[in-house]
Amino acid sequence: MLGSLTGPDAEEADRLLTEHVPDCLTCRTTLDAFRGLTGDLGLVADPLSPPETLLPRLQRGLEGNEHRSRLRAWSPARIVAGAAAAVVLLGAAGLALTQGGGAGPSAPLTQADLAQVRTMAANPGAQTKDLGGGTTEIEPPDREALYVLGTAVAGPRQGYTYRLWAVQGDSATFIGDFAPVNGLVALKVSVDPNSVDKLLVTEEPVGSTPSQPGQPAWDATG
Amino acid sequence: MAIQDTADDLELHRRLAAGDRAAFDELYRRYAAQAYGLAYRVTGQQMLAQDVVHDAFMALWRAPEAFDARRGSFRTFFLSMVHHRGVDQVRREQRLRARTEKAANLDPLEDEDPADAVAEAGYLSVRRKEVREALTELPAAQRQVLEMAYFDGKTQVQISEELQIPLGTVKTRTLAAMRKLRSLLEEAS
Repeated sequence: MLGSLTGPDAEEADRLLTEHVPDCLTCRTTLDAFRGLTGDLGLVADPLSPPETLLPRLQRGLEGNEHRSRLRAWSPARIVAGAAAAVVLLGAAGLALTQGGGAGPSAPLTQADLAQVRTMAANPGAQTKDLGGGTTEIEPPDREALYVLGTAVAGPRQGYTYRLWAVQGDSATFIGDFAPVNGLVALKVSVDPNSVDKLLVTEEPVGSTPSQPGQPAWDATG
Repeated sequence: MAIQDTADDLELHRRLAAGDRAAFDELYRRYAAQAYGLAYRVTGQQMLAQDVVHDAFMALWRAPEAFDARRGSFRTFFLSMVHHRGVDQVRREQRLRARTEKAANLDPLEDEDPADAVAEAGYLSVRRKEVREALTELPAAQRQVLEMAYFDGKTQVQISEELQIPLGTVKTRTLAAMRKLRSLLEEAS
């Protein structure tokens, strides 16, 4: 939807999303109108028979892909129990946490960072989940990464930082520390969503070893 | 007929969400041609279009709960997802310029006859007719900016420059087009 309006100029799209659209009734109305019509407009394109190889390719792909609903059977209570019991640090290899260029919690959060995450959240096929504290986990349809978006997020206590974990089963993987910048949080978690049951945010002393999750920072409903 | 078919979509989706591969195959049979046609129209390339459709169906299988019937029909959900992915794919491949040039004169694919090759559910063709008729009822200037934005993926600034009209005019025409189109389609429904 958004791509239709903004085309390939990502910088312009970012600027519009973060600086202009929120305060422009015309553009907001246009975006809302587009959202409802995107699917129907697709019918204008002539249908074409896809290559005969596509369905077999898909069927092969189904073999290795479980439904997300079966993979994500966590309840908040179980998360807490798992975190307090037998959590194992797997190591952060292959994972990346980016906020403000990935330089850590004090790095400035750019408009482009925020725009990227907001764009993901605006995707009609994206799945969202409340992480508590004003933050939301976003899983775009392509499932190439997870995103966390937060507005009006209170900072951690003095001497503490927020710590993000990827939890699967009874294991938790440390991803990175972060702190809101002017109440805003925009994180890209470069992890295969298939390998993650749940993202977990804890509040930990600054500089502490991320051996296992402490207490969740917030009460989450998702 | 259309109501019944929509209900069938919901039932197929419910079965797919439970892991029923036959339901997946049936949804593929129903929507693959439209999805591929849309993806090809947006990307302008067969391989990209195939990847878009493949990824969209895989996403549906992996996360069937992404569809929420309260927010619209399965058809609009799925085609919206295909369109979004198509635009994303074009961005990633950075082939917009070539695609734009190609989009204006898309030729039928080799060995493909769209009219003969596609067997689709009747309600899709009915809705397509409604959407196309609604588009024809738009003033030409409004339809032009809408198609440039949707199928060509152009920004409003680009449209302004290409048509040599003020940016505000592009916005006004786009908004008017969307409002009228939505109204016409609601009437048709």
